[in-house]
Amino acid sequence: MQNRIMALVLGAAVLAAPARAQTAKLPAPSPVEKALAARAFSVDEVTLDKNMLAFAAKFMAGKNKDDAGIQHLIDGLDGIYIRDYEFDKPGQFTAEDVEQLRKYFETSEWSPLVRDRDRKTGESTDVMIKLVNGKTGGMFILDVCPKEISVVLILGPIRMDDLGKLSSLGGLGALGTVEKSVQDKEKKGGHQ
Amino acid sequence: MELEPMDDFEKELRQTFERQPAPPGMKGKIMARRRVSEPRSHAVLWQRLAASLALAAVLGGVVEWNWHLREERRKGEAARQQVLTALRITNHALNHMNKQLAAHGRAVQE
Repeated sequence: MQNRIMALVLGAAVLAAPARAQTAKLPAPSPVEKALAARAFSVDEVTLDKNMLAFAAKFMAGKNKDDAGIQHLIDGLDGIYIRDYEFDKPGQFTAEDVEQLRKYFETSEWSPLVRDRDRKTGESTDVMIKLVNGKTGGMFILDVCPKEISVVLILGPIRMDDLGKLSSLGGLGALGTVEKSVQDKEKKGGHQ
Repeated sequence: MELEPMDDFEKELRQTFERQPAPPGMKGKIMARRRVSEPRSHAVLWQRLAASLALAAVLGGVVEWNWHLREERRKGEAARQQVLTALRITNHALNHMNKQLAAHGRAVQE
């Protein structure tokens, strides 16, 4: 009897392990964020885990066409982690701060999609995607302007078709432009 | 002769109004009846109290449920606003990326 219980417990653990591994967890806030937030005049922080996203998606159901599109996009995502720091003048953060942020989020599972640097202005953009079995499993954007830093981390399967559809919504035009680039990357990733 | 019935009537009236002692055992009977009716009135009081409590509980439940619904709606709206903020910032970052790439002559679509 005891052996059976042990076998059941072990079986459940073996089954649960991959299921847990499939759900990506949101990272803890990076240490440099506190210092940036203290210096910024405007801070936007959005952290939505899988449960909150499911809750928001439920709330968006049946509201209108735009909400339905967003609901479809966020449905099944594992998490959204957004930080946006706006500063009143340039020079409120250093290149080292940005590098710390980049290193904190950049891990081996992310593939660079866009890496752009402007040495004159100090502006930079990094777009990385996470590929899981040739499919998009996440997107990371670190956008740095002289007076603004934006960190966007979206975890989970991103439906690029839905992203493209949202380009028709007011203020979400740029979301559609990334669709093609990511699809190209997926195709390459799928062949690897 | 004609006044005779009136006298009888007066006599009867006088007899009726005459103070008479209560029949023996009357006090005992009344007290016994009171003892029986007292618990009944207590039961009615308890029933009314229980009904009031039940009504208060039902009303409380309705108020609580309404509050819960309102709170749920408020949280849902907050979550929706957060999603919209997230998309707005994402869009802003991607817009900036497009501008930068366009400035460097390397559009994303290429």
